Amino acid sequence: MEDILYFLQQVINGLTIGSTYALIAIGYTMVYGIIGMINFAHGEIYMIGTYVTFIVIAALGMLGIANPFFLMAAALLVAVLVSCAYGFAVERVAYRPVRGSKRLIALISAIGMSIFLQNYMRLAQGSRDMAISSLIPGGWEFGLESFAVNLSYMQVIIFSVTLVCMLLLSSFISRSRLGRACRACSQDAGMARLLGINTDMIISMTFVIGAALAAVAGLLLGMYYGVVNPYIGFLAGLKAFTAAVLGGIGSIPGAMLGGLLLGVAEALTGGYLSTEYKDVVAFGLLILILLFRPSGILGKPEVEKI
Amino acid sequence: MMRRSLLALGIAAAMSTQAQADITIAMAGPVTGPVAQYGDMQFIGAEMAIERINAAGGVDGEMLKGVKYDDACDPKQAVAVANQIVNDGVQYVIGHLCSSATQPASDIYAEEGVMMITAASTSPTITEQGYELVFRTIGLDSLQGPVAGRYIAETVKPKHMAVIHDKQQYGEGIATGVRDTVEEAGIDVVLFEGITAGDKDFSALISKLKKENVDFVYYGGYHPELGLLLRQSRELGFDAPFMGPEGVGNPDISKIAGQASEGLYVTLPPAFETDPKNADLVAAFKDKDQDPSGPFVMPAYTAVELIADGIKGADSTDPYDVAEYLKANSFDTPIGKVEYDEKGDLKDFNFVVYNWHADGTKSEAAH
Repeated sequence: MEDILYFLQQVINGLTIGSTYALIAIGYTMVYGIIGMINFAHGEIYMIGTYVTFIVIAALGMLGIANPFFLMAAALLVAVLVSCAYGFAVERVAYRPVRGSKRLIALISAIGMSIFLQNYMRLAQGSRDMAISSLIPGGWEFGLESFAVNLSYMQVIIFSVTLVCMLLLSSFISRSRLGRACRACSQDAGMARLLGINTDMIISMTFVIGAALAAVAGLLLGMYYGVVNPYIGFLAGLKAFTAAVLGGIGSIPGAMLGGLLLGVAEALTGGYLSTEYKDVVAFGLLILILLFRPSGILGKPEVEKI
Repeated sequence: MMRRSLLALGIAAAMSTQAQADITIAMAGPVTGPVAQYGDMQFIGAEMAIERINAAGGVDGEMLKGVKYDDACDPKQAVAVANQIVNDGVQYVIGHLCSSATQPASDIYAEEGVMMITAASTSPTITEQGYELVFRTIGLDSLQGPVAGRYIAETVKPKHMAVIHDKQQYGEGIATGVRDTVEEAGIDVVLFEGITAGDKDFSALISKLKKENVDFVYYGGYHPELGLLLRQSRELGFDAPFMGPEGVGNPDISKIAGQASEGLYVTLPPAFETDPKNADLVAAFKDKDQDPSGPFVMPAYTAVELIADGIKGADSTDPYDVAEYLKANSFDTPIGKVEYDEKGDLKDFNFVVYNWHADGTKSEAAH
């Protein structure tokens, strides 16, 4: 019984962290799906989202507002708006001018953007960790006296917000007019343009949606961990990118699946093997998937167009 | 014409500063990065010493000049910084700070004949390489680990203890020392594991600690990770006390972990700022609105003083002469009496166990 509870606890831990990998991974996968490039500055947008969350919560806290749900809603609104502006601007400044050239050039531009944003935040906010206290502490506990499973309110919030975001996004992509235009661009951007779709606008929109989801992840993780520094974007971006590739880059359900899988794999490795091997297993999994299913779990194999 | 004369003026100015022949001391450590506050401790200590020595007439009439170099506690950047220091013609370095940065930099200094005194790196391997010009003004992990281990074994007496480290030279080294000491004393170490520095999520590890009924945790590493570990532990209902080395003992841990940092055990160098002999120096720090209680402030101050004393005593600015003089004599400094062994380690240095408090202060732990 104790072992089952322990397993359950590790799965809960894994799903929580996996949800946020998934939220960030969507930004990678959408951009890749449409213009076939990897937006390495995406992790930094997540970092900026966390900073904005902290600033808003600290500012409202100073005004004497303490209702956690109001604080969260206000921070969400501002963080999403600011991050969207960054997502839009990054595409305009760093990617659109080089879109026609080789893939490598866009990649280098993306890495440059990432370094720039990291150092810009470092100069603006300082390089020390900033911290806020937990807004929504506590949770449920159930199980035996020898081992109790702990499910914090924040974990439930993270998981459900992620789920809602995913559902909204999937229905947007599959049902709305703009979503159809997105899919058209991802299948054949040239043809879509000939048929009167404003591809520039669609690409901008992709970046903005990705940035909004990264901001949501930034808010959730910022509130969950309570600390931020200018370097958190790198590792988070790397993990989310792995999740996107694992699930099949270009596929939105794939990003979700990849994120959750990666999170659970990490938690189980940490729980049963050793925390030291967490990253070994995560990236080992990636290598295995790429060896046996190069397009990822849910990705479609790329067909050479003649 | 105007431009040419300006240029001439510039050259003349450059030459005149060179002619003055100050003794430049490089202060290498993290100006930026997640552990920059330790850099600040080292810098204010070293700068204070330079200022006071210069105010008293310098070293045989020559003024000391401190220049900061930022290694961000990154081993790669430390190598670049060390090369830059060598290229700038500097012969004396206070630094570096993180052991994993100090180690690669020390290779370069040894090759180029630059003297290095670290006020913070406690990893034993740094002085084991047999370099003549490497010194410390702080104790070793091999001293600190046993102090922590003995305290755990004699005072805390846990039944199921866990030792966690950040897989870096400093953290893993000291964690291994603690594990060996407590195991010798018969304490059961049920878990010895590494985490990745920079990680944010420790829930899997904490669940494991809970399952293993761990009642005491030693963490070898720095405060950003321990702060999160403490915070998440308390949120997930894991209440065992934690202990860490001097790398976790600064007010930022209370900022990160909040109430969860209350009661954390920390081994730190003794509180030199409470020594009545240092009252004058402490007042000088307070005048500048600086905090002399950081663990590396007084060691950094001492390091500069030793360089000045060494140059005076050896009557030479050659680092090899100075090193020989430092090893042959003993000095009365703000960190007490300093005597060096052949390797450049202090012959005597104590670590003390403190209790950390949520308001960022500390008090000596009960025995």
